[in-house]
Amino acid sequence: MSSSHEPFLVARGLSKNFANVSALQGVDLDIFDDEILAVVGDNGAGKSTLIKILSGAHQPDHGEIRIDGKITRITDPLRARALGISTVYQNLALVDLRDVAANLYLGCEPVRWGWFIDRQAMLDGARKVLADLKVHIPSLTAEVGQLSGGQRQSIAIGRATSHRGRVIIMDEPTAALGVKESQKVLDLIIRLKEAGTAVLIISHNMRQVFTIADRIVVLRHGRNVGTRWRSETTPDEIVKLIVGIETGQGV
Amino acid sequence: MTDLAKGAEPAKDFTDGVISTALARDEIDPDEIGRQKPQKIGRWLRSRNMTVGIAGVFLFVLFSLITNTFLTMFNLVNMVRNVSLIGTVAVGMTLLFIAGEVDLSVGSVLGFLTIVFGGLTVGIGIDPWLTALLVILCGIGTGLLNGLIRTKLNIPSFIVTLAMLTAYRSLALIVSGDRPVSVDPTGTFYVVTGGTIFHIPFLILWMLAVTFVGGLVLSRTRFGYHVYATGGNLEASRDAGINTDQIKLAIFAITGGLCGLAAALLVGYLHVAEPTTGTGLEFLVIGAVVVGGAELTGGRGTMVGTLIGTLIIAIITGGMVLLGYSQGVADIATGILIIVVGTIDLLLRHAGARR
Ligand SMILES: Nc1ncnc2c1ncn2[C@@H]1O[C@H](COP(=O)(O)OP(=O)(O)O)[C@@H](O)[C@H]1O
Ligand SMILES: [Mg+2]
Repeated sequence: MSSSHEPFLVARGLSKNFANVSALQGVDLDIFDDEILAVVGDNGAGKSTLIKILSGAHQPDHGEIRIDGKITRITDPLRARALGISTVYQNLALVDLRDVAANLYLGCEPVRWGWFIDRQAMLDGARKVLADLKVHIPSLTAEVGQLSGGQRQSIAIGRATSHRGRVIIMDEPTAALGVKESQKVLDLIIRLKEAGTAVLIISHNMRQVFTIADRIVVLRHGRNVGTRWRSETTPDEIVKLIVGIETGQGV
Repeated sequence: MTDLAKGAEPAKDFTDGVISTALARDEIDPDEIGRQKPQKIGRWLRSRNMTVGIAGVFLFVLFSLITNTFLTMFNLVNMVRNVSLIGTVAVGMTLLFIAGEVDLSVGSVLGFLTIVFGGLTVGIGIDPWLTALLVILCGIGTGLLNGLIRTKLNIPSFIVTLAMLTAYRSLALIVSGDRPVSVDPTGTFYVVTGGTIFHIPFLILWMLAVTFVGGLVLSRTRFGYHVYATGGNLEASRDAGINTDQIKLAIFAITGGLCGLAAALLVGYLHVAEPTTGTGLEFLVIGAVVVGGAELTGGRGTMVGTLIGTLIIAIITGGMVLLGYSQGVADIATGILIIVVGTIDLLLRHAGARR
């Protein structure tokens, strides 16, 4: 496992307030290069806020983030991408009326002569990204609004992987999917890890978490109330941490 | 990897057999049965232009049969020339619609800019070419102002440009003292704007050129892709690093610039600058864009569609006028057409899409 080397990303004391809601209060988080890290917690525990800070969508009020040991400000989603952090948002952030290729390359379309879309490069690249993920999309020129939930999820993930980042963050990637489609996404997450990409996944599904995660971070009321190796904990303990029955400090 | 990459439409590097096998396998997948109709919507979009085109041909044949002046070279050329400025401005309006914005001020801006044209070239005596350039720049300025108010103050473009509709018309009336200004139509400028080549009015060629360039920009450039993305999903576009405010600002400016171009063309053709010029133009421009398939909700529309929409408005207006009806009655017919087309679109959407 990934215990031997230094974490790629280290966050310390992250706090974030919205008006009078304290969404995060001094959260610490490490991400190693080739692990699957699950972040769990009740609704409103601060999971989405935490990943929005990591993906550059929010700025923390307090705390610092180090990447490869250097203090880093993740000012916006583009900066996050450049730093190797890609995010699959809960709503997928797809443009339904555009085709698969345009969505895979949203915001970073390949161009020739500075202006003109290199459509061939786009189609070739899209084909390769989807092939690497082993996902079936009937047509690269299909509007994504016409695709199934699983296919849409695959495209959102494909876009994140195509940035060749070091960590992919996924906010409840299986929440809207059926059993079969969920399994495909989980397989994909495992393949990403095998290919050396870290995955930070938010999930409510304990079985999923215990199937794929290497480590589990539990948030409660905006605080990190425990971090456990999957191999050294039980679903029961995690659930207790989530609801706050037995508070114990983790690793 | 070939079995996974069956989306490859243009590339011929795998066989139909592989593609259909893969498709068949997908269709067995119970999660996905009945959900896979990806080609349909594309075909439908293409066929929407087709359907509207057929409706246009129908009207064309109808008017050809019930009048004996409709199907003459003179009338056809006249008809298209009459909508060429609508078609020119509609290129900008199409971009705006796709991005989920609208500009109601185009008619007033056009009127105001014809007055500016008259003032510069007659009042000050500036060369018409340079005047045209200045008027286009002035138009870009009006567009930038619309765009800045829209994006910086976050006021809906409907409101911003409605205010501008009144403002520029009043400005035109005040500046001109409610009097038309005649220009001296000598020189090449008046030939390449108001003249003809091989019996084809330059106005029509200008419209076609602008539409062609607009279509190229929209469908082939990164900017065009970002216009679609901005209107299709604003938040996703922002998260993907697209500067959506800048995109909107740019297309408001383009629309303003096209109003400037249209103003220069119009003075070049009419040889007179009148403060009431372009009154109600926004209705016909938006009509052309809507009949052409763009939607105010954003994300949808094409330049070819808009050109078809413009030509249909030409046919309706031209035909009705030949039948002895006034422009007002023709406008009512156009209004009815917009409602019919909008309703059909809505019905097709409910029939064709899941949502
Ligand atoms: N943009 C926001 N504005 C105001 N409050 C917010 C915002 N985002 C999150 N919150 C609040 O912060 C807390 C944590 O939310 P969130 O991070 O979405 O939790 P989770 O994803 O774990 O369900 C909640 O109380 C939520 O209402
Ligand atoms: Mg959440």
